[in-house]
Amino acid sequence: MTARLRVDWPSCKARGLCHELLPEIVDLDEWGYPVVGGEVTPDLLADARAAVRMCPRLALRLERPPPL
Amino acid sequence: MTAPPVRASDRPRVLEGPALLSGLADGPGLVAHRRRYGDLPRVALDDLLAALDRLHVRGRGGAAFPFATKLRTAAEGRRRPTVVVNLSEGEPASAKDTALALARPHLVLDGAVAVARALGAREVHLVLPCERPRAVAAVEAALAERHDRLRTVLHTADARFVAGQARAVLELMAGRANLPVTAWTPEAVAGHRGRPTLLSNAETWAQVGRLVLVGEQRYAALGTVEEPGTTLLTISGTTPRVHEVPYGTPWREVLPEEWAGRPVLLGGFHGTWVPWEDLAARTVSVAAMRAAGTPLGAGVVVCPDEPPPAYTARVVDYLAAQSARRCGPCLNGLPALAAAVHGVADGSGDAERRAAELAGLVSGRGACAHPDGTARLVRSLLALRAEVAS
Ligand code: SF4
Ligand code: SF4
Repeated sequence: MTARLRVDWPSCKARGLCHELLPEIVDLDEWGYPVVGGEVTPDLLADARAAVRMCPRLALRLERPPPL
Repeated sequence: MTAPPVRASDRPRVLEGPALLSGLADGPGLVAHRRRYGDLPRVALDDLLAALDRLHVRGRGGAAFPFATKLRTAAEGRRRPTVVVNLSEGEPASAKDTALALARPHLVLDGAVAVARALGAREVHLVLPCERPRAVAAVEAALAERHDRLRTVLHTADARFVAGQARAVLELMAGRANLPVTAWTPEAVAGHRGRPTLLSNAETWAQVGRLVLVGEQRYAALGTVEEPGTTLLTISGTTPRVHEVPYGTPWREVLPEEWAGRPVLLGGFHGTWVPWEDLAARTVSVAAMRAAGTPLGAGVVVCPDEPPPAYTARVVDYLAAQSARRCGPCLNGLPALAAAVHGVADGSGDAERRAAELAGLVSGRGACAHPDGTARLVRSLLALRAEVAS
């Protein structure tokens, strides 16, 4: 099952740690803010959880799609 | 602070219409209102939901979300819901909610009160536009005439483009800065104080109010089978004009003659440019206009004297200054986008590519849809230029 990584934009201050932890789906824009490029597939889940935990601004959340 | 290309007005010319805006000569008072419509009946939630479904009543703030879906969600929550009437009309070019406040405040209030009763809500919150004092005074005067046995709470929204955004309104109601924040859950699920919150703009409430007062048949007597009823439009100008038209009305009948042949900005500052010929060939319809890629939005049309690129550049300057400066992509991206659009207006080489790139970059990356709306406007300018060039 895939999940979605969402950014709380008012909290994010572009330190870019998420990109280092999850380069597979997080890019940085020209100002250093994350560009989330895809779903969190099961193989990325552990790294995504780490990014959520370690974001210095607690600006990341992992959202599961609602059960059908 | 960069001034908007069109200033918010609280003196629109309100034209006589077929439903909400009928009988304007009687004035906005409660006595005349009750003489016209009678007392506000009590409606059962299920009956109301069924009627709203059958009539496809949609929110009139721009997103055109089915009102019954929102109402059902709010009703299904475990806690007592809260009702919010949003009159803040942050889009300066729009004046329809202001027109209702001035001319038909009791239709708006009847809608909110009828639904609050059906939901068992005890509070109705009203969010008023600080930069339109006549609208504020009109709503206060209307409230003073009524005895609804509901707690009404007044809030005054800032004069900021995004101040009327749903989450910004909830922040204001919570006593915090009137700015958008990230919505993790829809407000109809958990909004004000965690309660299910039914927040809609004034026109939506007025349409619901009229439905409750006149019944389904009379409501459906206007408009089309797919889209029954009427909608309000603001024809922007030095004095904005507010028209009420049945869905299905040809735009040709609504657009001022002197606009013929000129590109029209449809849907306000988060809207889209449309060549006059294209718009004139269409009808006022949520579904058809959405399918054409030119959503009706909140029903504002602007036709500036300036060429679209120069005008868009001024609009984007204003929108960039309206960013609440909290979300990085919006704070950095909108000024860059504004610079690119100035480049487009000045004909500098790479500006169109840069504008398209930035529009893509800011979209979907903010606590509110302000970057998305701004990007939509810019993309439509680029599309308009491509069409003219081809
Ligand atoms: S780690 Fe957190 S604060 Fe840093 S860029 Fe990523 S989301 Fe933003
Ligand atoms: S996206 Fe822009 S306007 Fe919306 S909350 Fe963020 S900074 Fe403010």
